[in-house]
Amino acid sequence: MKNLRTEKAGTLLVGIGNSGRKDDGLGWKFAGLVSESANSFIDCEYRYQLQVEDVLMTCRYDKIIFVDATHEVLEDGYELKPCRVAPHYYYSSHMQSPETILYLAKELYNKEPDAFTLAITGKQWGLGTSLSPEAERNLQKAWSFFEKELFQHVRITA
Amino acid sequence: MSRKITIDPVTRVEGHGRVTIHLDEYGQVKDSFFHIVEFRGFERFIQGHPYWEAPVLVQRLCGICPVSHHLAAAKAIDQLVGIDPKDLSATATKLRRLMHYGQVFQSHALHFFYLASPDLLFGVDAPVEKRNVVAVALENRELAIKGITMRKFGQEIIKAVAGKKIHGILAVPGGVHNNLTEAERDYFLDGKEIENIDTMIEWSLAMVDFIKGYHEKNRKFLDEFARFPSGHLGMVNEWGALDLYDGQLRAINSEGDITLDDVSTDLYQDYFSEAVAQWSYMKFPYLKQVGRENGWNRVGPLARINVCDSVPTPLAEKARTDFIAFTGQKVNNSTMYSHWARLIEVLHCAEMIKDLLHDPELMGNDLIRKGITRQKGIGIIEAPRGTLTHHYEVDEKGMITRCNLIVSTTHNNDAMNTAVKWVANNVISRKGTITDGMLNQVEVAIRAYDPCLSCATQAMGKMPLKAELYNYKGELINEKFKN
Repeated sequence: MKNLRTEKAGTLLVGIGNSGRKDDGLGWKFAGLVSESANSFIDCEYRYQLQVEDVLMTCRYDKIIFVDATHEVLEDGYELKPCRVAPHYYYSSHMQSPETILYLAKELYNKEPDAFTLAITGKQWGLGTSLSPEAERNLQKAWSFFEKELFQHVRITA
Repeated sequence: MSRKITIDPVTRVEGHGRVTIHLDEYGQVKDSFFHIVEFRGFERFIQGHPYWEAPVLVQRLCGICPVSHHLAAAKAIDQLVGIDPKDLSATATKLRRLMHYGQVFQSHALHFFYLASPDLLFGVDAPVEKRNVVAVALENRELAIKGITMRKFGQEIIKAVAGKKIHGILAVPGGVHNNLTEAERDYFLDGKEIENIDTMIEWSLAMVDFIKGYHEKNRKFLDEFARFPSGHLGMVNEWGALDLYDGQLRAINSEGDITLDDVSTDLYQDYFSEAVAQWSYMKFPYLKQVGRENGWNRVGPLARINVCDSVPTPLAEKARTDFIAFTGQKVNNSTMYSHWARLIEVLHCAEMIKDLLHDPELMGNDLIRKGITRQKGIGIIEAPRGTLTHHYEVDEKGMITRCNLIVSTTHNNDAMNTAVKWVANNVISRKGTITDGMLNQVEVAIRAYDPCLSCATQAMGKMPLKAELYNYKGELINEKFKN
């Protein structure tokens, strides 16, 4: 069991979504690909949605990558962007944005990891466990990029 | 001129709702509704799946209360394999209880620190920028850290018994699939790696003291805001004490008279019916013998404290008697007392967790029991937000042919609508204008019930905050969006 008080350097990838809602499962699928990779040096966590206690999780890492599905039609089917600290919040209660999680980490625990969001375009959001063909293609594109950029230790900087 | 004001969705509730308030030509409230407009689909989705998948599948209903759905489904599925609660092994029962108390503890802590506390700390008229977790963190760092730590403690309990904090699996048909190791237990007791259970009890006591002091200072508002008569429903054990995991159903009316007298949960269909309304996908459960108009009940912390004769842990029982002495009432019908009742339950859960962690049967090896299979199973627990019912029927091959879920938020449907009406009539009517503060009071009334609309509608999705204003002709004359 991990020690909540223990600092842990390294990289964390957080898959966000719901594998029971078709393409909303993209974040989890991507995290699954990373964690199953033989070369993976990245810790993976799965979240239905980010919540306040995830601040403690992010404090333990130097680098965080939040992966989630998006409705937005992205040119490459995916997009990796730096994630900046920001005090915004959602109206739908318990859910917190990656930016707010980072904001609370900085304000409450004086931690400021490098962070990124990886958005992958999905198309279908109904009940079901399989991805749409479009989402599957976008997942593979994102995975190819990720293997090339990170598993060969090419650094990404905010 | 008649106007319609729409708040869509209600903020800081789980899922999405919409409130419409209809004014007549004199600016007086004509009517109001709390709409649930998302489509319910899970009960159909689960049909055709084998019964043993239900405790796993139903966790996908919601990321906030997956443990509650997991355990309610597990209790129902136990019956399909011929195991009633009394037949479950002591180890399996205690592990499930530990998971459940961990869930209620972390859910209530989250609600109080991050959803309710902005209203309490900053006031119901505070600007929208302040009514959120970020403002709490900035203005009361210690409170924010305690909230995060208590939430995390409950999540760690769930993770220890279920393998992961969201969508973990502990229960299997007729029992559990693993026990707790000594090392896992000691993690919560010795305080070496995380704040231990004694600290959680200490902080819970401090929260109860805080809310009592808050009520002393703000009594008039808290007594009167969204107070209305209603029934109250909850589960009690054989001695009439609060029991969040297993027991009989008890309901009382607004005066404290018994309307449902410690009935077996298996018989819920004999006593409850569900009404529907054209303007909402959420059902309206009520007691058949009392009738649709007066037979609906509040559920959740306030209802549970109202219906039980005692709380079976010493510190929480003392807190309950203080609560009753403060109000001097047999039954409390004031919506805002839900927060105090919720904190009494936080303390109760912490005490129960401590007792269980010191029980060697958590490390036992009698995990699964088998009986004679049946074709109907009903599981009811007291989830953080109230009474939660899972009902499954299967064919001879064990495939689910019928699923009926009555979630806590559904029971509170009438209560939330009545609370909205109270605010509309007492705060908005005849004022001639609508301010952010007025609109927030609508939300404060709803938030006290901690509604989980994801559960109630079994739907998910994101929507911006949308406000619409219509004139008496039904024409949209103004709208606002907040992302």
